[in-house]
Amino acid sequence: MTLWVDRYRPRTLDDLHYHRGLSERLKSLAASGDFPHMLFYGPSGAGKKTRISCTLRQLFGAGAEKLKIDQRVFLTPSKRKLDVNIVQSNYHIEITPSDVGIYDRVVIQDILKEIAQTQQVDLNAKQRFKVVIINEADSLSRDAQAALRRTMEKYMANMRIILCANSTSKLIAPIKSRCLLIRVAAPDSQEMEDCLMYVAKKEKFHLPSEAAQEIIQDSNGNLRKALLVLEALKMQSPDLTGPLTIAKPDWETYCHKVADMIVQEQTPGRVMEVRAKLYELLSHCIPATVILKTIAERVVERVDETIKPDIMHWAAFYEVRMRLGSKKIFHLEAWVIKVMSIYKHFVYSFDMEDF
Amino acid sequence: MAQVATFLPTGLLDDVEPEVLSTEPHSGAEQPQSEGSVISSTNATTKSANALFAPNGLLSEMLDDDEEEETGKRDSGGKVSSFISNGLLSEDMDDDPVDNSQSARQSQIRMDFVQDPLRTASDPPTPSTETNIVSPTIFAPTGLLSDSIDDDADIQLPDAKPQKEQSQSQDDNLPSISDLLQPYRKDTEPSASASSSSYVPFGSISGTTHEGRPIYFRRKLKSKKINAVENRPRVSNLLETPIHRLRQQLAKIPTSLSSLSLGNESQSSSETQLWVDRYRPSRFSDLCGDERVHRETMNWLKEWDSCVFGKKRNNKAKKPFREEADSNFEYKDPFHRPREKILLLSGPAGFGKTTLAHVAAKQAGYDVMEINARRASDSRSGQVVDERIRPTLESGSAIGSKKPVCLVIDEIDGATGAGDNASSFVQKLVALTFEGPRKKTRGDAKGKGKRPLLRPIICICNDLYASSLTKLRQYARIIRFTRPSDIVLTKRLRWICENEGLKAESRALSTLIGIAKGDMRGCLNTLQFIRARKLEVTEAMVRSATVGMKEAESSFSTTLSSLFAPLAKKRVKELGIGEAEENRFVTRLSRDLEDSGSLDRLALGCFEHYTTLRHADATLERHEKGSEWLMTFDSFSGTMRSEREYGLLPYLSYLLVPFYPLFNERGAPKPERPKADWENLMKTRASEEIYKSMRGCLQSNAGQRFSGIRHLLANENLQLEFAPYINRIISPPLRPINSQVTKPKDRAILNRLVEIMVSLELRLVQDKAEDGQLVYLLDPPIDAFITYDSKRATDIPVARYATRHLIAGEIDAQIIQQQADAVEKASSSKKKFDMFSRNRKQKDGEDETGDPGSSPSRPGQPGNAKRKAAELDIADRPPVDFFGRPIESTAPKSKKLKGQDALVQKAYRVSFKYNEGNSAAVRKPLKMSSFI
Repeated sequence: MTLWVDRYRPRTLDDLHYHRGLSERLKSLAASGDFPHMLFYGPSGAGKKTRISCTLRQLFGAGAEKLKIDQRVFLTPSKRKLDVNIVQSNYHIEITPSDVGIYDRVVIQDILKEIAQTQQVDLNAKQRFKVVIINEADSLSRDAQAALRRTMEKYMANMRIILCANSTSKLIAPIKSRCLLIRVAAPDSQEMEDCLMYVAKKEKFHLPSEAAQEIIQDSNGNLRKALLVLEALKMQSPDLTGPLTIAKPDWETYCHKVADMIVQEQTPGRVMEVRAKLYELLSHCIPATVILKTIAERVVERVDETIKPDIMHWAAFYEVRMRLGSKKIFHLEAWVIKVMSIYKHFVYSFDMEDF
Repeated sequence: MAQVATFLPTGLLDDVEPEVLSTEPHSGAEQPQSEGSVISSTNATTKSANALFAPNGLLSEMLDDDEEEETGKRDSGGKVSSFISNGLLSEDMDDDPVDNSQSARQSQIRMDFVQDPLRTASDPPTPSTETNIVSPTIFAPTGLLSDSIDDDADIQLPDAKPQKEQSQSQDDNLPSISDLLQPYRKDTEPSASASSSSYVPFGSISGTTHEGRPIYFRRKLKSKKINAVENRPRVSNLLETPIHRLRQQLAKIPTSLSSLSLGNESQSSSETQLWVDRYRPSRFSDLCGDERVHRETMNWLKEWDSCVFGKKRNNKAKKPFREEADSNFEYKDPFHRPREKILLLSGPAGFGKTTLAHVAAKQAGYDVMEINARRASDSRSGQVVDERIRPTLESGSAIGSKKPVCLVIDEIDGATGAGDNASSFVQKLVALTFEGPRKKTRGDAKGKGKRPLLRPIICICNDLYASSLTKLRQYARIIRFTRPSDIVLTKRLRWICENEGLKAESRALSTLIGIAKGDMRGCLNTLQFIRARKLEVTEAMVRSATVGMKEAESSFSTTLSSLFAPLAKKRVKELGIGEAEENRFVTRLSRDLEDSGSLDRLALGCFEHYTTLRHADATLERHEKGSEWLMTFDSFSGTMRSEREYGLLPYLSYLLVPFYPLFNERGAPKPERPKADWENLMKTRASEEIYKSMRGCLQSNAGQRFSGIRHLLANENLQLEFAPYINRIISPPLRPINSQVTKPKDRAILNRLVEIMVSLELRLVQDKAEDGQLVYLLDPPIDAFITYDSKRATDIPVARYATRHLIAGEIDAQIIQQQADAVEKASSSKKKFDMFSRNRKQKDGEDETGDPGSSPSRPGQPGNAKRKAAELDIADRPPVDFFGRPIESTAPKSKKLKGQDALVQKAYRVSFKYNEGNSAAVRKPLKMSSFI
């Protein structure tokens, strides 16, 4: 019925196509009855959430898949009301604290306390504890993380926490040390091809190997993206033969356009044009860091070897500044000007050497 | 103590002085003296604080008079003066020992006059209870005294101490300056009351001379009426004085009056009062500034006359009648009020708005009730209208006053009122003005309805375009204050300086006005500040004293342009700074920036402006620096906000200053107000809204199907991966043909498409384009995410109307079917024995296998399916499996929708749920006939 991404998502640990060893370990952990707090980390599209839900199923059985969505209202200390969507089953609860921005601490505390203070009521449940899944844990504020560390120890009897993050670098050490760290690496191209072939087989069409390779190359280890691309491709040209053009996401194309503009001309006027494009990107809710990264990668491709490190260095520099500040556009443009300046200097010195 | 004793008797001698004057009016020898006292009686009004040294003044006078005869006394007098520490006295003694008609002298004598009654009251041996004769006695003895001093200088009185006390207590009782500014009577009243408790000599006054010889003064009783308003009767009473003296007096009266009107006197050395208050105009004619503004205000107030004072507006004496009349008005003729019932005075600070409101109201015969809206808004502001304003306006006058009241609301731009909150101050105020006519139609029950507004309301604001005044502006008459001409202001300032004994160059004054930009209050405060230290004003002093003054008024746009352009020559001149100082910009600009109060917007303004400048900047060096500073600014302000480190605030303004050295240019285009960022914000909001609705779709979807589509919801995934690809997935290259005759291949794609769109809750909504053509739009409009620069991505085919029409039709059909399914599912889950429920699953299968012929017969089919299967269906069978299975046979499924009649059949199916009681235990099938 729905998208392939969803339909062919493995439901149990046995169904998972790759990282078999990890699946085994998770299985035995679930069986042992001594289940720790866990932290799943790995790149986007590697299958962290799939593994988490599979683990849950392993722990609690099919009941963990009966979900309901609650809208809960939390009150901040300043009496502001926060609406938070919470997905839960009888055995677990799933929250995305980054939805509430800087008030995540309130949400975390309230929910954890509530869960921790009630024991598992269902006598038939396989486990005596409930599980709290915290998505996007790397965007938790420092306060919220500090609030977590005490609860993690105190309520160990009733509750386990599963954190899901892209990288562990933004989590404080006390949290990391309280969790079992599980790295979910991105699948390699063979594993991805297997998955794509499996989907094709299930959907009863033939996927030429070249097409699969192209998709894999384009999706860069992101299986979710690969599946979306595959489905889009199948919709656009049903027979999947002949030369395929894999559509890049529009924002990416647009970013490349901006990069080209930067390389072509370096004038204040061009700065204004670039600014308009950057605004357009930002208004499409594309994260500023992603914009900077994409443009920088493209610019680096197109310039001379000698100034590549400079450009990347400054991109990193301005990205940090961007995270500190609040007006993204200032930093993006500052970087653009910097790159233009570097490029110009390079071109001038080049000319000088010629003569 | 001995000194006091010697001093006080002489004071007593003074007391007796006037009587001599009155009894022997023609004694030529005493003429200078008598004139002094006459003037004191007429002009006593002006003096107040100096009352303290009144006795000494008198003493000194006496000493002067009797210089030759009583040298010993002179010594004592000198001591006294030092004892009381009155500078004026000694000065007086030194300057004019002989000439009694000096004006300085007069003022002192006036004070004696005020003091007199007490003295006279305390010393006489014969007690009297008459208190109302005080003022005559005041007059009579004083004259006598001076005479007696000359005649027999030896007179002395014994009881010194009580007298001293008396005089002190009287000092306390002296009227305040403001009272003294009123006509004469007010002045005398306090002293009369002060003396009322003590003896008042009735028939005669007795005293003792130096030698201890008792003397008696006969007193002449005069019941003299003191007119409160006029000075003339007083003069006429003193006609006994020679006519040339009267002429002299008359010559003096106008000058003293002019000083009166402005509430000042040159000799005043009281430092306790701000000049601003002291020189506040109290008459309409004294106002300085734009005449036109003043007249407009007055005119508006006069328009109220027919409402407030009745039609006979000139007759002020008949006020009681008018009050009556206006209480009738509200029922008879509420429209005698001016069209705009509120006057709104607006203008920069220090232009005299409040003063004008007060003066004009007073002049027009109102009592002023002032409410400060900014202070009122601290509490729940709307209530102020109900609690304070309405009662006052309804009663028409302040408590204990016969004059009608005029409401002055100051600083109304600080009141709450923005938005549509009905309880805000401004809203309530506006509502107040409308109450009259509307309530009137309800009848004339006095107590019930709210009464109409019958008193003028003057509102005062600085910023006419404050958001809180939006409502008020429509209903108020607006008068804008403009900067008064410098000449008028300079003139007034010079006059005040002269009065205060401050030497002022006119150049300094005009500089001051220039710097203050016409703010009279600022000018006066500065002058007073300077006066506190020195006696003259020079331009340099004005400059040093006004550092920082008035810069606060700089607006956003001027501050921004000051960053990109050097100072205008004129302003340079006004500020009087040299070349070197002009180039020293950091302090000046940072202060400007700080004062403007909207640093973030300024930063945006800089950001939007600096790249538009056409500089020869080959290597973009300056731009680089500029952006560097902007970035630093942003990280500072970002940290300040997020970490609540407001200690960083003082540094913020410095971070924008570098734009001046980098980009300033004379004659450059003026920077515009930043708007791109705002537009971007709006666009972002719109996109976020779309994402939100899309997420909502996905989420409800996820909830229904227990599916794992939630993992697409994570922020970045949605924007970076899902949004672009879903757009491609839902726009396959379909040809617009009738759905019945499509090729099986296309058919498959179409079905797949419909399926996806239904499951993601994406819809196609028919709409009319601007040119009137019908179009189908996506709802939620997720195609916005592939539209950059309002161009769609090129690799996605443009969906034509016919195609979309086709898809929309299919989607609708699918939805109807699903709803029917859902209803059936619900009913079947309840009624397990219902025969429909058993073949429901079968029906679904038939739907998928697409046998249109079988569907009509389905409802009638006997329910022979296994009950267990049905139960499994109802229970926690994952629907994914349930939906997954039929999908495997996509091709045959495609036919199912051809059977339109099947759908029609389903649409007509009736199901009914009937629960008896609150338990589900009792259930039985019923026929429809039993309900209908």
